[in-house]
Amino acid sequence: MSDFSEIENDLRKLRPAQPSPVLFQRVEEALTDRRTGASDARRPRMLSYLPRNWESWGFGLAAAAVLVVFAALSMHRGQEGEGTVAQALQSPGPRASANQVEPAALSEKFVPAGGTRVVYNTRNEGLHFTDGSRQPLRRVRYQARQTWQWRNPTTGASLRVSYPSEEVVLIPVSGQ
Amino acid sequence: MENIASHEDWKRCFAEIAPGLLLFARQWAHSAADAEDIVQETFVKFWRRNHKIDNRALLYSAVRSTALDFIRRDSRRARREASAFGGNDDFTEPEFEIEDGTQRALADAINGLPHEQREVLVMKIWNELTFAEIAVALGISQNTAASRYRYALTALKKMLQPQ
Repeated sequence: MSDFSEIENDLRKLRPAQPSPVLFQRVEEALTDRRTGASDARRPRMLSYLPRNWESWGFGLAAAAVLVVFAALSMHRGQEGEGTVAQALQSPGPRASANQVEPAALSEKFVPAGGTRVVYNTRNEGLHFTDGSRQPLRRVRYQARQTWQWRNPTTGASLRVSYPSEEVVLIPVSGQ
Repeated sequence: MENIASHEDWKRCFAEIAPGLLLFARQWAHSAADAEDIVQETFVKFWRRNHKIDNRALLYSAVRSTALDFIRRDSRRARREASAFGGNDDFTEPEFEIEDGTQRALADAINGLPHEQREVLVMKIWNELTFAEIAVALGISQNTAASRYRYALTALKKMLQPQ
């Protein structure tokens, strides 16, 4: 590339125009704002999977609790029935009673099996200025359906709770 | 991707690369103000996402992508983009501090380069990226980056030759 050394030198002598001082100021402000409010800025991202609407939370948790109680009761009855049949068919003995107690304790354990959040509507509600903020924030409303699932590894029974959620996210907008 | 650079490091980094970065963004932006907006938005986003401060290929790739998004956001800019990539590049004028007529001629010649050659030239000369970094930033091979650079220099030499 030695043929080009002269033109390369000429090009390097050409200096790009300097950015306006305002740009440095704006970038510094943005970095400082973000640094001081770093935890605040990152928290919404972590919580974005969770519904902000407390009614949704309450409804979801209540529904989950009711379903867990029903599931536990119905399984308990089922085990009682099985126990009766087992007692009727088998001769009573120490081995049979041990078999009846152990699965009953295990079968009450439900473990989380997964969760999904399907956003079915996103609405851009425009720019807003919050109190004390110099930067505009874009307000975006997400409507989603969240589903949580638990599974009993012993019995194979599964429990699913699904509920609608709505959240509003404020996204900082850089000046343009 | 842990980011161990301090706030001062980021400020110093921006002060060093801002002129070259701005020149790079000017290739798509019609005005210096638009280019500054693109550079600010990209740099702050880059910092916020905890990227490594020395990952220049990613930074320039992000500037390019922000600039293209910026153009698309505005219908007038979209029309300009279409005309620019259609071969009429006259609005994408790099800005330099011109000292004499020779430099003016050189700046005009750079302005007359095809877009993909000027892009590589700007990254190589005024932003001091390696061909490997340019290749990553533009999504091309190193050989292609080096070829475009050579074509750009050849074209400039030809344009500046006395008639």
